[in-house]
Amino acid sequence: MAAKKKAARKAKRKTKARKTARLWLMFPPKLITQPVVWELSQKFPVITNVRQASVTDEIGLVCLELDGLADDVKKAITWLGRKGVSVEPVEINVIES
Amino acid sequence: MSKSAGFMRALKCRECGREYPLEATHVCEFDFGPLEVAYDYGKIKKSMTKAALAKRPQTMWRFRELLPVAGEPTVGTRVGYTPLVKADRLAKWLGVREAWVKNDAVNYPTLSFKDRVVSVALSRAKELGFETVACASTGNLANSVAANAASAGLDAFVFIPADLEEGKILNSLVYGARVVGIRGHYDEVNRLCAEIAGKYGWAFVNVNMRPYYAEGSKSMAYEIAEQLNWKLPQHTVVPMASGSLLTKIHKGYQELIQLGLAKDSKPTVHGAQATGCSPISAAYKQGMDFFKPVKPDTIAKSLAIGTPADGFYALKVMKETGGASDDVNDDEIREAMSALAECEGIFTETAGGVTVGTAKKLVASGKIPAEDSVVLCVTGNGLKTLDAVQGHVGKPAGIKPSLREFEELMEKDGKVKSK
Repeated sequence: MAAKKKAARKAKRKTKARKTARLWLMFPPKLITQPVVWELSQKFPVITNVRQASVTDEIGLVCLELDGLADDVKKAITWLGRKGVSVEPVEINVIES
Repeated sequence: MSKSAGFMRALKCRECGREYPLEATHVCEFDFGPLEVAYDYGKIKKSMTKAALAKRPQTMWRFRELLPVAGEPTVGTRVGYTPLVKADRLAKWLGVREAWVKNDAVNYPTLSFKDRVVSVALSRAKELGFETVACASTGNLANSVAANAASAGLDAFVFIPADLEEGKILNSLVYGARVVGIRGHYDEVNRLCAEIAGKYGWAFVNVNMRPYYAEGSKSMAYEIAEQLNWKLPQHTVVPMASGSLLTKIHKGYQELIQLGLAKDSKPTVHGAQATGCSPISAAYKQGMDFFKPVKPDTIAKSLAIGTPADGFYALKVMKETGGASDDVNDDEIREAMSALAECEGIFTETAGGVTVGTAKKLVASGKIPAEDSVVLCVTGNGLKTLDAVQGHVGKPAGIKPSLREFEELMEKDGKVKSK
């Protein structure tokens, strides 16, 4: 019983935990003209903060800070990926050879 | 943290120029740009003279004023000063007047150029009081972190994709490193590693220690210049994964010019990639400043980074120096590996094949004029990627223990010299 309560408390803490993710979003040409960041903020209760951006005909690059509950930030990142946006941490490639 | 900063001045944002204290941090808080070490070159000029250098041991640390440690190095003190081989037979194969091979395939202790960056990162980590170091890697970096951490008495964590080949894992496990395989897509693994690096207070060599770590690559440039009797090469061909090595070799040459140790002969720096993962080379060919991410599919696994963090800066360096970029497919990589081995007796990993093969293309297209001299940066040992050449370099002839059979074989071969 005590273990169950402990697990429930842990789960509650987990969902309440806040998280800030620092990301590079890379938009393929077909998404460049779409208001993806706006759509993201409508769908998920996360704070979006653009820190750098560069948009050309070929590629859209946005350096974005995402702040919110850990679960919401995770869902927002998954949604971006499904939408076709490449989502990298601010360090870009952490895994090296 | 060490009270003295040695010859370092600050960490500086490569985008906006804002400066930060010399701590374990890597991103500008304003624009999230990468941080880089800035030095006190006035102070370095007084200390690092050719006369002083001549008396120092032949390791990369002879250039220690230009490497980001506050005191004397404590990890990897015997790294570097690998041979610069005059490669006359390879020059003929390439179609160029003169070629040199900077051979980091024999770098100490783990046979790749990563020992340079790791020894710098771990020496600095010790200065900053860290006892645990970490990295996320699929090969050479993991081996180097594990080995150098072991020799320094540091605890090491190595994060790898769970499906990595067993041989590569053994090369880290043998040193006693804690190896953690992460299941999932590459992008997820990459993001998790960044998250772990942010959450745990370790020295993650290619994340929070990156400003120091990356500077280790410059030592390759200093050594090339000194080994050429303080002449900068006309052309240098560098393999590109993240693009960091290329930018640091350029920075190394520019520092030597600034310090008056080498004349400004306008050295040109060229970038080499594998066709199966060539975001930087493709951007160069299309005249773009930014690369488009790609999904890697190449035998040159050590260069297989589809979203190169320093791609933008590498493109800038090539543009500024008049350099070019090209790429080679898997067959061309193997052919170039064989050429280097057969011409110079140097067995390189696939990344070296990329460098040599691309150099040949750059000569053929006139980007490197045939009458010029070129240095090729070979960054890792062929023994690490045996599977890439397996089945492509022929088989040994088999005979019975009989002289007659041997002579028949020689007759069939027809190429035997009498002496």
